[in-house]
Amino acid sequence: MASITMRNIVKKYGDGFPAVNDVSIDVADGEFMILVGPSGCGKSTLLRMIVGLEDITSGDMMIGDTRVNDKAPRERNLAMVFQNYALYPHLTVFENIAFPLRLSGKHSEEEIRKLVSEAAATLELGEHLDRKPANLSGGQRQRVAMGRAIVRQADAFLFDEPLSNLDAKLRGQMRTEILRLQRRLGVTTVYVTHDQTEAMTLGDRVAVLKKGVLQQIASPRELYDQPVNLFVAGFIGSPPMNFVPARVTGDTIELPFVSIPLRDEWRDKVQDGKIYIAGVRPGAFEDAEFVDAGKKSRGVTFGVTIDVTEWLGNEQYAFVPFEAPAEIVSQLAELAADLDSEQMRTQICVELDPLSRVRNGDEATLWLDAERIHLFDPATGDNLTRVEAADDAVDGAGRHAAAAG
Amino acid sequence: MSSAKSARWWTIAGIVIVLYSFVPLLWMISLAFKPPSDIVSGTPQFLPSTFTLDNFAQIFSNPLFTRALINSIGIAVIATLISVVVAMFAAYAIARLEFPGKKVLLSLALGIAMFPQAALVGPLFDMWRGLGIYDTWLGLIIPYLTFALPLSIWTMSAFFRQIPWEMEHAAQVDGATAWQAFRKVIVPLAAPGVFTTAILTFFFCWNDFLFAISLTSTDSARTVPAALAFFQGASYFESPVPYIMAASVIVTIPVVILVLVFQRRIVAGLTSGAVKG
Repeated sequence: MASITMRNIVKKYGDGFPAVNDVSIDVADGEFMILVGPSGCGKSTLLRMIVGLEDITSGDMMIGDTRVNDKAPRERNLAMVFQNYALYPHLTVFENIAFPLRLSGKHSEEEIRKLVSEAAATLELGEHLDRKPANLSGGQRQRVAMGRAIVRQADAFLFDEPLSNLDAKLRGQMRTEILRLQRRLGVTTVYVTHDQTEAMTLGDRVAVLKKGVLQQIASPRELYDQPVNLFVAGFIGSPPMNFVPARVTGDTIELPFVSIPLRDEWRDKVQDGKIYIAGVRPGAFEDAEFVDAGKKSRGVTFGVTIDVTEWLGNEQYAFVPFEAPAEIVSQLAELAADLDSEQMRTQICVELDPLSRVRNGDEATLWLDAERIHLFDPATGDNLTRVEAADDAVDGAGRHAAAAG
Repeated sequence: MSSAKSARWWTIAGIVIVLYSFVPLLWMISLAFKPPSDIVSGTPQFLPSTFTLDNFAQIFSNPLFTRALINSIGIAVIATLISVVVAMFAAYAIARLEFPGKKVLLSLALGIAMFPQAALVGPLFDMWRGLGIYDTWLGLIIPYLTFALPLSIWTMSAFFRQIPWEMEHAAQVDGATAWQAFRKVIVPLAAPGVFTTAILTFFFCWNDFLFAISLTSTDSARTVPAALAFFQGASYFESPVPYIMAASVIVTIPVVILVLVFQRRIVAGLTSGAVKG
């Protein structure tokens, strides 16, 4: 087992376009690191550079204390699970898992049998060892691919979107399975995904990439609560963060439906009269009827006309369209394109208590938690109100205290 | 038209086509079992008056045929082996590597395959005599390779291209060298492609008449298709047709066996299950 250190990694293709640009990431020994971003952000390229399937244009790739830039994949002692599993179709499950052991030539037939049965037992593949991959279900193939990875003493595991070919239910199960396996084996793991749920649930730390540039690397909680810029804020969280124009006027910030007081610690970060982009999570809203009296004073209430509601049983979302200045709209459209989504109209997504009886077209009184708002610079996208180092062991209550303090 | 009715028409059309293509074959087989006297009989009939194996016994006792059979087998097998091995490496390189001139190389290969063979026979005849390989096995193997390789490379590179890159990548990450990845993963997966090209090449060499008749003059390299033209009856007044037909039946047998044995391998997609399917 070993740490993986990336220093100023650059990958340029023939046309000079940097697919990965100056990325530095330290993956500690035993850490579960997630690389996440929309398609084309360079996350898979980065992973393939770690394993050696892609040349590194410049920078240092270190595994443990060894620089591996010029080493062939087989010399790096890493195990990788591919998106399409890449099982050897002409070999049985047993031979698939035994393949790396046989190649190393260091094991006797008896040892191979023992190691493979252990790996198969871990993954509950015991009864399928004599079958060919073609006769296995998607989840079983996925497990065989993992078996091939865990059967040898690899320094690190690399996963390239391993769950994206599974259906939603299986994906949830396998996600838990991967997490359990990694925790038990304690192997350094780098996991590429475009699914932010996987990123949030699996990772010790998550690295968010956009167009080959590292945006932020932090714990899932910090990414969610203290995103460094508009891109990270918009990418992490489902449903995504709402972005609305926010005009600073004197002591207040004017949002589309409501004004909130400008906090003291923000005064020197913003200019009076300028329009910023405010980021508000859907969960920062609530149907005013369902807000505790104690909490209510922390926010503001306002009336809106609900356009559409979506009731999902344990949660409920309502959508409220709003008008925004042209420059903000274009900025948001650009952000949506970066995030691989489409900005149909400017609207706020509001999370309501599932018991709320607000329905399509109703007039509703909503409450907004004024403390859970970020302000972003519309030109650069930087988060102006980020609180540094809110990371370590901050629970919900402490977070609010830190944000308010 | 109802679907049942149209299905019936398809069946009838199918039977017509099958009959059309099988009658010459059946005629050949029937002739091969006829005594020579049947051929000149005043009342010709489709089935032999008496079944006889004399024709086969006759041709196998004729050195003209046995020698030609050995030549045919030897030349076709050697040419096929060389062609498949060379084509396998070439096709793998073409499928996996980016190198300057790749497109040109492929078009050139196709150009060679389309070159009219008849136009080459004359010059080859002169050259081969000058080089001293006229009427030798080598003299036939070289032109066979030339014309078989381009198509072999094309078909095999198509097969290699179907194999996902991840197969080799996975093998490399698992600790294989490039050669091991090729031998242990790619070759087994490309087996249907290899068999297909091998069989096509074998048929091409086995069936060739033009080169075989032009570039040979004696028994030393003459293959069966060419040798058939030299068959004679037992006497001047006897037709050689039954012997020729018996020989034709013999040379058809390997073709039929090859197709029957390997058709399932050719058709079976071995890569199923490799990736999400």
